[in-house]
Amino acid sequence: MLSAEEQAHIAQVWDLIAGHEAPFGAELLLRLFTVYPSTKLYFQHLGAFPDEVQLLSHGQRMLQAVGVAVRHLDNLRAALRPLADLHAHVLRVDPANFPLLIQCFQVVLASHLQGEFTVEMQAAWDKFLTGVAIVLTEQHR
Amino acid sequence: MVHLTGEEKGAVTGLWGKVNVEEVGGEALGRLLVVYPWTQRFFDSFGDLSNAGAVMGNPKVKAHGKKVLDAFGEGLKNLDNLKGTFAKLSELHCDKLHVDPENFRLLGNVLVVVLARHFGKEFTPPVQGAFQKLASGVATALAHKYH
Repeated sequence: MLSAEEQAHIAQVWDLIAGHEAPFGAELLLRLFTVYPSTKLYFQHLGAFPDEVQLLSHGQRMLQAVGVAVRHLDNLRAALRPLADLHAHVLRVDPANFPLLIQCFQVVLASHLQGEFTVEMQAAWDKFLTGVAIVLTEQHR
Repeated sequence: MVHLTGEEKGAVTGLWGKVNVEEVGGEALGRLLVVYPWTQRFFDSFGDLSNAGAVMGNPKVKAHGKKVLDAFGEGLKNLDNLKGTFAKLSELHCDKLHVDPENFRLLGNVLVVVLARHFGKEFTPPVQGAFQKLASGVATALAHKYH
């Protein structure tokens, strides 16, 4: 459950990302693949060495989904159900990978926002993204 | 033992030279205590940890953060023998402090986020990768003597 304050921090940070989903998403994926190479196994459709165009395209899709989550903080389960089904039954992503993505997301936020990335924002986003990951792994079994 | 390429070692040592250990240590420990509040269980004697402001400004948190990061720095100088370097600290964290090793991984991750905050664009994906490897190696070394 996110407090009103936490929801405000989430919205505040999202305002800085909205409109820039592609570059943020591309950087997120690049960090994920660089720091945790085993995650590339889930993205074989992007090829062995995904280029910038592919990262921008796929990154945009991922961050747009995060945007959906941001707009439905009170009902993540319903809003993300199609994605939960996808990750469980089609992609079959091992749940252990979501914390790796969350860590990279925090690093993207921190490196871009720097002085503006308060501890309250970090805490709210960690809680929010963990909540998203829980919903996305709820249909696994 | 952690396997960093020559390039990764260079990146990590280069960046570390610019780190204000006192500031970054205090910030990393503070953020750990706020983002993952259950970690406060080890710091009952630290006084006021009741809200984010209190934690980040707490002098004991800052002092302990510096101590933790100084130890991290020692690891950086002994990449070929992390287990040996952290043997005594490992025993301490198990036998006296009773710290769940999962906390070392959490702190390592928070430290990486704090470094990203300080260094911005300079904290590139390869640099992040090198630091995550180092943090992971230190966490493993600190858990090595647990029984």
